[in-house]
Amino acid sequence: MTANRHTGKSAVRETETNSPMLEAWRGQGVLMLQRCEACGEAIFYPRSVCPKCWGDRLAWFRASGKGSIVSFSRVHRGLAPKFEAEAPIVLAEIRLDEGALMIARVVTGDPAAVASGDVVELVSPDAAKRFDLPTFTPSRRKIFS
Amino acid sequence: MSSKDVGIIGYGSSVYEKKATRTEMGYLAEAARVALASAGVKKGEIDGLVVSSTTLQPDNAVTLAEYFGLSIAWASMSTAGGAGAPVNVLDAVHAVASGRASQVLCLAGAAQDGAFFRDRITRFNSSIADYLAPHGSGGTNGLFGIVQRKHMEKYGTTRRQLGRIAVDQRANAQMNEAALLRGAMTIDDYLNAIMIADPLRLFDCVMPCSGAEAIVVGPLDRAPAGKGVRILSGRERHNHPVGEVSPLRGGWELFRDGLFNEAGFGPNDMQLVQAYDDYPIMVAIQLEDLGFCAKGEIGSFLDRNRLTFDGDLPLNTGGGQLSCGQTGGGGGMIGITEAVRQLRGEGGARQVKNATRGLVSGYGMVAYGHGLSASALVMERVS
Repeated sequence: MTANRHTGKSAVRETETNSPMLEAWRGQGVLMLQRCEACGEAIFYPRSVCPKCWGDRLAWFRASGKGSIVSFSRVHRGLAPKFEAEAPIVLAEIRLDEGALMIARVVTGDPAAVASGDVVELVSPDAAKRFDLPTFTPSRRKIFS
Repeated sequence: MSSKDVGIIGYGSSVYEKKATRTEMGYLAEAARVALASAGVKKGEIDGLVVSSTTLQPDNAVTLAEYFGLSIAWASMSTAGGAGAPVNVLDAVHAVASGRASQVLCLAGAAQDGAFFRDRITRFNSSIADYLAPHGSGGTNGLFGIVQRKHMEKYGTTRRQLGRIAVDQRANAQMNEAALLRGAMTIDDYLNAIMIADPLRLFDCVMPCSGAEAIVVGPLDRAPAGKGVRILSGRERHNHPVGEVSPLRGGWELFRDGLFNEAGFGPNDMQLVQAYDDYPIMVAIQLEDLGFCAKGEIGSFLDRNRLTFDGDLPLNTGGGQLSCGQTGGGGGMIGITEAVRQLRGEGGARQVKNATRGLVSGYGMVAYGHGLSASALVMERVS
């Protein structure tokens, strides 16, 4: 699902539960996660209850935006029209430094070079505006590893 | 009535089509008519209806009864996607055994094509709609590409090994005139097919299509002579393992021992397996979790075993979804109807010799990264 053809707005359904994450991504290109005040679990995707302990006091915090690729796929076909020219795009399971698991895009000019274990970070705030959800890129840290 | 006296007394499949030529109800009705005829049961004797469909909304099992002109004492609808139909059949057995219904019609299917599916999957459930589809990576192929790469990197599984699943199922499909994809497929065809979601290529990805499957559950003494199929055991498990997004295992590993212990038979006692095959990697994971080999050893298992209807472990003997097509929720029932067909000795050119017992495994409700639901049935021909 891409931006709505008629309104141009993001197709992500904004709710009271996820709006802090979506607003922070749109406005500042940062990743907000929830943390359960009872058990400390870092949570993605946004919920109204901690899936680990069912605590309902969840506090938003700004995540580091860094993580590593657990596994990934280079998707060549069936992409949303607005991303077709970028094929293949990299869809990855990412373990955030905070411990939560996400599935997200890793934007790179060299998809063939992506490997499991690669360190990734959020795209720049300017680049973030192209994407409806938090999106990553190979980390500059990788150069020194 | 004991549940041992209840079982599958009829089965049926509609035509499968790449483009829908009728509504979902039309396909369900065709499968239902075939199933009732195979059971020797009249429409008026059906007083239970259960449906597994991800496309029937806003309709449901009760409005389906209205559409079909059925007055029913028990109605149910699955929420487990492609794992739903085995659960439906198990529930139907319990409904008859407990006296809530006397003959239950179990239905599953869809009227769809590839374009319909690509649109529908973006709204399949909330976590897909809100947190996956907006990435624009299209459908579920990328998710299973992630799973397959993980299995390959962790256990050394190769595409050539997994290819046996697609290639042997295609050989089975060549014996099934109802399969939509019957062209010969070699391992090189599989390995060199167009790239879809690396490491997945074309023949790793199931083709959405239109069609339906149907089962009639009732007292086994109502089945035509020698045609009853008993459910020896059945299980379901949802959202296992908790908190993982791309796991290499599923609920089958939790219920495997209970499933086989209750049946009184183990994996080696099955003459055929019908495993949910949206992707070969998921068939591989089911075979591991259900104990046909140890976790991570599916590669060498596939090196050693032929999976054709006349092979070492007959798997998806009609060609499975990978060769017949995926009829939405009907993808969870095609394995049941094919198992019943085989156990009744009605497999025709693809009949498995001495088919006495079979295992059907379900998988479905893809959400944030993987299918949440696992199910299975062990069934036996009533002699």
